[in-house]
Amino acid sequence: MRKRLALAALLFAALPVAVAAHHGWSSYDANRTITHQGTLTELSWSNPHGTAKTNYQGRSWDVILAPVSRMEARGLSEAMIRPGQRITLVGYPRRDGTAEMRIERVIVGNATVELR
Amino acid sequence: MEWLASLAVALEASGFGQWAGRSAWAYPVANVVHVFGLILLIGGIGLVDLRILGVFPRLPLQPLSQALTPLAIAGLMLIAASGLVMFAADARAMAASDMFQRKLVLILIALANAAVFRFLHRGAGWADRPPASARIMALASLLLWLLVAVAGRMVAYS
Repeated sequence: MRKRLALAALLFAALPVAVAAHHGWSSYDANRTITHQGTLTELSWSNPHGTAKTNYQGRSWDVILAPVSRMEARGLSEAMIRPGQRITLVGYPRRDGTAEMRIERVIVGNATVELR
Repeated sequence: MEWLASLAVALEASGFGQWAGRSAWAYPVANVVHVFGLILLIGGIGLVDLRILGVFPRLPLQPLSQALTPLAIAGLMLIAASGLVMFAADARAMAASDMFQRKLVLILIALANAAVFRFLHRGAGWADRPPASARIMALASLLLWLLVAVAGRMVAYS
């Protein structure tokens, strides 16, 4: 009985925990902050998090935003960052060189919206 | 899985998909319901599985199973409904995810295992002493549902 219980506990404990990620913080390089003034070329205002594209340093980058509920709660709207609007994106690039940045904050006019 | 990709395109473009993706609250609420459903499913059927495997031998199996199996089925229904909302919100990316595809296959195997178990052992006379075949299927059930949970969580990280 005790042995079987220990076996069951072991099964639970043996579940894998850590996996490399596009999510979380580990896959982005927080030591290389990108500050990009420009416009979005595409925008998807959607869950689980908004995504967009922007041209930066001669390449088209994937832009990772935040969940819709958080962006709205912090005062960012789809209209504010619609493609063509002049905005400033502050974010971190992927460590592996993929043209993808995870946005920490968005500056639109006088408004600064923190996404993390 | 071509059918899954075409289903995803249609679902994401549908009114339901647009609502699931763009609503501020649909996705987070579905996410919470998905976790509650998983708690009911594994908390319910996982305990029955453990009992069949021989853990807690003093608990009578029949009433335990009668109490917990309906909870697990309720959990499964919550998971399916909330999962559909989250899938619709991000359908093309999900359909293209290897991890999500693996998860679907694991769910099918787990459901088949449960269906076969019920078919084989319905009204079984073994009462509190399950035969080896039942114990093997209970172990499979426990492991499969846990793997489904792991695969589900890992979709976001793969």
